Amino acid sequence: MEAKLELTIKKLRLQMDLTSLLLYIVPLIMLLTFFVAPIASIFTGLAYFDWSLLASPFYINLKPVGAPVEIRQIYGVTLVIVKGVDMGVILNSIVNSLLVTFFATMIGTSVALLVGLYEFPGRRVLAVLASLPLLVTPFVNAYVIRLLYGFSLQGNTISYMLRSLGIPFEIGFTGLAGITLAQTLAFYPIVYINVLAALGSIDATLIEQALNLGSRGFRLIRTVVLPLVLPGILAGATLVYILSLEDVGAPIVFNYRNVMSYQVFLFFQEYTAIGRTGVAAALCLLMLLLAVVPLAVVRKYLSLKYYARLARGAPRPLKRLKLGPVGMLVAYLLVFPIVVAAAAPQIGVLILAFSERWVGALPSGFTLNNYYVLFSKPGVFRGIVNSLTYVATAIPLIAVLGFAIAYTVARIRVAGIGFLDLLSTAPLAVPGLVVAFGYFIFLHTVAQGTMLDPLVSPATVLVLAYVVRKMPFTVRSVYTGIIQTPQELEEAASCLGAKRWLTIRSIVVPLVWRSIVAGLLLSTIYVMSEVSVSVTIGALGGDIVSPSHTGPITFVIMRLIQSPSTIGGAQPQAVAAAMATILMALEALVLFVAIARLAGRGQMLISV
Amino acid sequence: MSSIKVVGVSKRFGRTVALDNVSLEVRRGELFAILGPSGCGKTTLLRVIAGFEVPDNGQIFFDDEDVTYKRPDERGAVMVFQNWALWPHMRVYDNIAYGLKVRGLPKNEIDRRVRWVLDLLGLKGLENRYPHQLSGGQQQRVALARALVVEPRVLLLDEPLSNLDARLRLKLRGEIRKLQKELGITAIYVTHDQEEALAVADRVAVMRAGRIVEVGTPREIYSNPKKLFTAFFIGKTSVALARVEDVAGDIVYVRIGSLLIKAVNHGVQKGDRDAVVVFKAEKARSEPEWRDYVEVRGRVVVAMYMGSMVEVRLSPPGYNRDLAFYLPEIEPPKPGSQYTVYLPLNAVHAYTVGGEEDLVKELLEED
Repeated sequence: MEAKLELTIKKLRLQMDLTSLLLYIVPLIMLLTFFVAPIASIFTGLAYFDWSLLASPFYINLKPVGAPVEIRQIYGVTLVIVKGVDMGVILNSIVNSLLVTFFATMIGTSVALLVGLYEFPGRRVLAVLASLPLLVTPFVNAYVIRLLYGFSLQGNTISYMLRSLGIPFEIGFTGLAGITLAQTLAFYPIVYINVLAALGSIDATLIEQALNLGSRGFRLIRTVVLPLVLPGILAGATLVYILSLEDVGAPIVFNYRNVMSYQVFLFFQEYTAIGRTGVAAALCLLMLLLAVVPLAVVRKYLSLKYYARLARGAPRPLKRLKLGPVGMLVAYLLVFPIVVAAAAPQIGVLILAFSERWVGALPSGFTLNNYYVLFSKPGVFRGIVNSLTYVATAIPLIAVLGFAIAYTVARIRVAGIGFLDLLSTAPLAVPGLVVAFGYFIFLHTVAQGTMLDPLVSPATVLVLAYVVRKMPFTVRSVYTGIIQTPQELEEAASCLGAKRWLTIRSIVVPLVWRSIVAGLLLSTIYVMSEVSVSVTIGALGGDIVSPSHTGPITFVIMRLIQSPSTIGGAQPQAVAAAMATILMALEALVLFVAIARLAGRGQMLISV
Repeated sequence: MSSIKVVGVSKRFGRTVALDNVSLEVRRGELFAILGPSGCGKTTLLRVIAGFEVPDNGQIFFDDEDVTYKRPDERGAVMVFQNWALWPHMRVYDNIAYGLKVRGLPKNEIDRRVRWVLDLLGLKGLENRYPHQLSGGQQQRVALARALVVEPRVLLLDEPLSNLDARLRLKLRGEIRKLQKELGITAIYVTHDQEEALAVADRVAVMRAGRIVEVGTPREIYSNPKKLFTAFFIGKTSVALARVEDVAGDIVYVRIGSLLIKAVNHGVQKGDRDAVVVFKAEKARSEPEWRDYVEVRGRVVVAMYMGSMVEVRLSPPGYNRDLAFYLPEIEPPKPGSQYTVYLPLNAVHAYTVGGEEDLVKELLEED
């Protein structure tokens, strides 16, 4: 017994020197303290909670209220208002997320197949337009979608265009349907790039063999291509589903409160109100389950689906096929209009940023004043300063912890590594509002009155939440980099006498620095554009009228979008758009320039 | 320089047994080859000796020191990897100097020793190149230089030449042997290439399925293999299942179909029914050139001209398989005709089947 224990210790010592022990233990403690404990403490909020409350019609209503579509005739013009029905908070969220996932998957997959498999005039334009919505502009994107397609008494842009074409027809989205539309247009590119990447990794011979046997057109896609890209489709669809479930931007912009995310958001607006905690905790737990369970199922299924890589050797890239006449019709009459409609809001954000005023169908007058306000109004500018401060604090932490996790998972073989791996990527699947709520409950309880209490120092808590939520991008990038580096390079150093720390410093880091930088850049833009924690915990440090508030850029954007009165003579929404363009520029730089240079093409940037 | 002793080492990966109770001893200054087919565990054995894998059981000694639970960086066993593992971000000079810097030698001493080894391996003038600017042969030499410059206790070579073309392989294996002898370093050389193992090593261990089958000098291994697998694996060989007719000490008389031949006996007992006969098929000639020889007669199934030799596949009378022989410089015989080949007696070995049924089946399938 004693001998056996001694042997175990001797073997453990081989893997666990001081360096690897630190690399393992420090991130583990950090994740247990600032991820697992906050999420687990949501349960404490459930004490005395009466679950039957959730069965009330406000939360689950099996007799939906209202007509999904309303058609009115006004002065010979047909007005179509798409509203959706109210099925109660919980069902609304579920149905909306499923619809968004369905539409986004259909559109994203179609565009990817068209761009990835076929050659036709305008292919490159389609590819660029389809990836535009990846430049996320929280709140502003949804606001512009409301201007373009939303129902408003001043009319919207699409109806204005129809009227100019002489079509007496107006259409507008509002309520739950507005959220579904905004999320579908914003999220479908995630499916698009995942499927495109999956297409890129298919060995061309598999498709050529099918062509050779006489399969073409839709049969080729249905029998060969779709089964091969299914993992990509599922990965993209799952992410869209989770993003839709946790999204608070579209509900706020469309001012539709009867979804789970808005209800949890409301908790932070009224956190002093007794009795709110129980409902918020229950909704958080429900959101968590609704996000994690489907993801786990898809993961399990995906792990069985490795046959796409059955072929030996490096896959040969596919020579694109010629698009037939039916395909042309589908491409130009169906896919192109949808993609243009989805890219229009991004262009709209740019226009809004330079608009004097845009509330109805069209903007009126152009100006640079919005940018002036951005930098001259202390409360607004403060958001930029805050975001930069948070990034500057969070990114070094992400660099150290992210590298430690990636290295440990890739190279150290002791029990519990799988758990660390799971812990480090799990935050991707946990809705941001759940993290925010968990942080509030946990830290406000155990660290009350200290720097870790969100009511004392929201900034500290924000940084910690950013680290936990956005570290996975760095972990995965670095992990991929290490895995792609032959381990012999490190073994060669260690058999020449180098200790682990020296091996890491002199061999590993110099060889994977590109992956480290690429991962950190990704983490940076996702910290900058983070919404859920920013508009909840971030709001605890005062509103934007105060020049010393603690809200980051996304919080300021939200407050500007919600603001009814002009600021420095400018339309607040236009100032928000100006702020959003800064985010967009940063994202474009990172996603399309820096990452492509650093990590090479074809790497899936946004996936679960 | 140390001797190496491996005692009862076993290693599993999940359900796969990579090493099964392996023991061996390598003497000081010896060049010891481990030879076996791919997947036999030879690289795992080398990695256990280097410290990259921990054995489930057993011990590793360098001289009298138990190093089983020492980390690779504490052992002084330096490995030359199959892919050479040159660091792409360092110049040749820094690759070679790395081990010396780790040991904290003064700068001028490092420089002196790097220059010495550059000279020794004919790498002068390449010190400022990056690995990708070198040819395969040069990269191999840098990998060797990087290992030799630290004067390792033990040098471990894992298929060091397998990524090179045939001509360069022949040249470099001679260089490796010469250097190892000059520097007197204890070395283990893992390879799947039998000719390379025989050419380079003082002694050879033949491995199969995680076990050491036989250890001997190259000559013993080739011309008097004690074990069936060794006989089959080394050289160009043919295998036949035969009936035992008579056992006369070192000689056994067997029948392959209705063909009666004699063979060197390796453990076949009087009363055994079956034996496996292994022919060193490359020793076959069209005329008897020895005093003591064996005659194999049969119908020609196919004959193929191969440049330096001719492969003739014969089907002996009453035997349902055919046997391949390799003869130098003959006119290929016509298929269907009767033909006779001759082998020296020490190229025909008979082994007992008892206890080796699975191996026999495998060999017959492979042959």
